Amino acid sequence: MNRARSLAATLVAIAGATLLFWLLVHQISGLWLDVALRPEVREALEQSLNDQKRLRAFDDEHRDAYRRRFENTNLLLRRLEVIRLNRAEMQQRFELTLLALFVAGAAVAATWISLRARKAQARERREYLDRVATLQETARRQAHEIKGPLTAARLELERLGDGVRRGAPQNDVLAAGESIAEELERLARFTRGFASFAAIGTPVLRPLSLRAVVEEFCATFGNAWPGLTLQWSGGDARVCADGDLLRQVLVNLCTNSARAVEGNGGGAVTFAIARANAPVALDVSDSGAGIPESLRARIFDPYVTTRRMGEGMGLGLSISRKIMLDHGGDLQLVATSAAGTTFRLVFGDAECS
Amino acid sequence: MEVTATRVSALLVALLLPAFAFAQPRPSFVAQPGRTVAVSLPSSLLDEREVKKQISSGLTTTFLLSAQARESDRRGAARVEVRFDLWDEVWLVRRIEFDGKEERQRLASRDALDKWWRVPVRLFAANADRVALRVTLSVLPFSIAEGEDARQWIAKSGGLGTPGGGSPLVTALIGTTLDAKPIRAYHWNAEVAFR
Repeated sequence: MNRARSLAATLVAIAGATLLFWLLVHQISGLWLDVALRPEVREALEQSLNDQKRLRAFDDEHRDAYRRRFENTNLLLRRLEVIRLNRAEMQQRFELTLLALFVAGAAVAATWISLRARKAQARERREYLDRVATLQETARRQAHEIKGPLTAARLELERLGDGVRRGAPQNDVLAAGESIAEELERLARFTRGFASFAAIGTPVLRPLSLRAVVEEFCATFGNAWPGLTLQWSGGDARVCADGDLLRQVLVNLCTNSARAVEGNGGGAVTFAIARANAPVALDVSDSGAGIPESLRARIFDPYVTTRRMGEGMGLGLSISRKIMLDHGGDLQLVATSAAGTTFRLVFGDAECS
Repeated sequence: MEVTATRVSALLVALLLPAFAFAQPRPSFVAQPGRTVAVSLPSSLLDEREVKKQISSGLTTTFLLSAQARESDRRGAARVEVRFDLWDEVWLVRRIEFDGKEERQRLASRDALDKWWRVPVRLFAANADRVALRVTLSVLPFSIAEGEDARQWIAKSGGLGTPGGGSPLVTALIGTTLDAKPIRAYHWNAEVAFR
């Protein structure tokens, strides 16, 4: 029903546009012919012919020149006469041809618009389904993240209750209490992750040396991820950035890299200046297993992750990109394969605070 | 009701007057040796308003004669061309008869044109002692060459044309409309007997 209505609306629009176009063409198409065929033009040309004939009578020496001018004018007059005799047909053909071109063009445009609308509709549907699937996956992960510690805490509480009733040794009671505290800490970590996503600070931009930032990062976090070596390839570039937020981006990237190299028994992350002039870019490359093709287009979306259930919510890259966008720059996935992955931190031209 | 003779006469005059006023020029058809039909066109045809204007325009006015036998498929055709040379003020005429025989003349005056015009044009070859014909005369305002010249000129004037053959777009738009459509057409029936 909607398609029929849409088709009818399109046809009415084309018909209306065609009618308007035809009225316009009809008004203007005869104009150029009328200009050429004005009686004054003909009279002037005929007068010119007569003048040339008179001149030859007075000036026989230049007779040939007058003759040439006469013939040229006469030729023009004859051509205009041929046009005058065909004026109606010429105008009609002109209008019909333009009308046919217009209708064909309108039909092509309508088809193109219709196809685009259909494609957009299909894309919207696909995107909606993707969003729903992501939300489903997120809900599953959140339920798992919450359910795990809660179940564990409940079991420990039951064990603790049993122990108290049975008059269990104090060590067992304390162990159960510690275990409950650990599970509650897991829950707290989980909520902190969301809180950090919700409260990414506005960057305070200060002039920084990327070399200094990365070297300090390597010195501080060199041993943070077992099996992961941090390497600085040299060079330097000055940027305006928030050092703390920049460090958070590097931490998130390295956390991902650490997981990516786990299967290889370890690996390295290399930091390199990709572009020293504006816009400055810093590449962060690892030697991990790469990002699956199915996830590449959505890798910066929240809750998209390669990790197993219970190992993270997939917020790290999303937070990192938000930070870089807040800097007036961007975080890009430059390359990924079985040999490794490279992310690029692009710094915009934002001025320092 | 009493109808008087005067009233009847007046009524007849009133009815017949338009017929006389709009009567077409009538040619004479002539039987010539070899069972050939020739047609002598009346000078009054050249004095018809549209024809008179056209023949003096400087363009070549073509008088196309065609004959169709009523009782067979036999056909015949002839052509007469008239152009007034505006510089020399002479009439350039050409006649091509049904068998391809061509004659060209340069006539110095309108009287000479009228005289030449009345000379019978051989139009049709019959195969019987008597033939009934349907004859058509079309007056074309310009020749094919003049039409083609104008078409080329327009195509080049469009600014899109190439020196060779003009713009395909302009040619498509207006080229095919530059036909020499008849400005007048006459139809006559004729019966010619050969001795």
